[in-house]
Amino acid sequence: MTGLDYWLKQATCNLAAASAAQVRREIQEHYELAREAAIAGGATAEFAAASALKALGAAKTANRQYRRVLLTSGEARSLRGGEFEARAVCSRPWLRWMLPALPLAGLAVAAALFFTGHVSAARDALIIAIGMSPALTGPVLPIYTPIRSRVFRVVKWSGITGALLIVVPVDVRSSWLLFSSLWIIVWTERTRASIRRKLPVAAWPKQLYL
Amino acid sequence: MNFKGTLPTLILEALMREPSHGYRIAQRIKERSEGVLNFREGTLYPALHKLEIEGMVESFDSFEQGRTRRCYRITEAGRGMLTKDRAEWRELSRAVTSILGEA
Repeated sequence: MTGLDYWLKQATCNLAAASAAQVRREIQEHYELAREAAIAGGATAEFAAASALKALGAAKTANRQYRRVLLTSGEARSLRGGEFEARAVCSRPWLRWMLPALPLAGLAVAAALFFTGHVSAARDALIIAIGMSPALTGPVLPIYTPIRSRVFRVVKWSGITGALLIVVPVDVRSSWLLFSSLWIIVWTERTRASIRRKLPVAAWPKQLYL
Repeated sequence: MNFKGTLPTLILEALMREPSHGYRIAQRIKERSEGVLNFREGTLYPALHKLEIEGMVESFDSFEQGRTRRCYRITEAGRGMLTKDRAEWRELSRAVTSILGEA
């Protein structure tokens, strides 16, 4: 393994395959130009290679900076998972109807419970229906601009937080069980936020708007 | 010299005259600063990618000396940002000079 190979291995650590290929290509081009310029300036081949590598700086620093602007392997995996979900929804027309229908069914159940005298259960059903509706209706709503996306996310998180605060009893709110259940949602949201920063809006798939 | 935070502006300035590839951008910055701004070249590309995501520069493949190279050109938004950055820098520079000049 040459010095450049080792540098590239460190600089592309945890980057998505496409991002790593891009980094390898641009750094190899850069390295070759720097090496050729040094040789043209009278340096020996070995000195030229060493100085071109040194000019690149620390690979770990470059890796940290690359991970801030290029997709990491985890983010690429998350995007692929989202694409699979989108395909699943798009390829099954009944799902496009079913997803928004579920919160409506929840509202109907809440109304039925309320009118049969089960006020507490009706309240819980209503809150669950409202809390779930952004996640279920999001994929079929016309959200294709960053502003609509921001509004949708504010509504979604307000709904989820409000529903949790009302449904979850006070003594359970700080339990590890609740935190571990919410951790996946928070992690997914964090990953999506990171991808949003790295992809131009024109390249956002539907899942990033939600 | 530490010039953290100003690299994107220097890249845009280097691209003002003509589109260029990463190595030439790095050399232009070093030459024009007479070697004072001697940054690590591995950090140039993350900055270029960030500018590209923000729409300040756009990349394209160009064929030079028998090789395909990734080149970058400044966009209208990039020119606007550079004008704004220049004005801010002049103001900051004037303020710091007036303080240090008095010391």
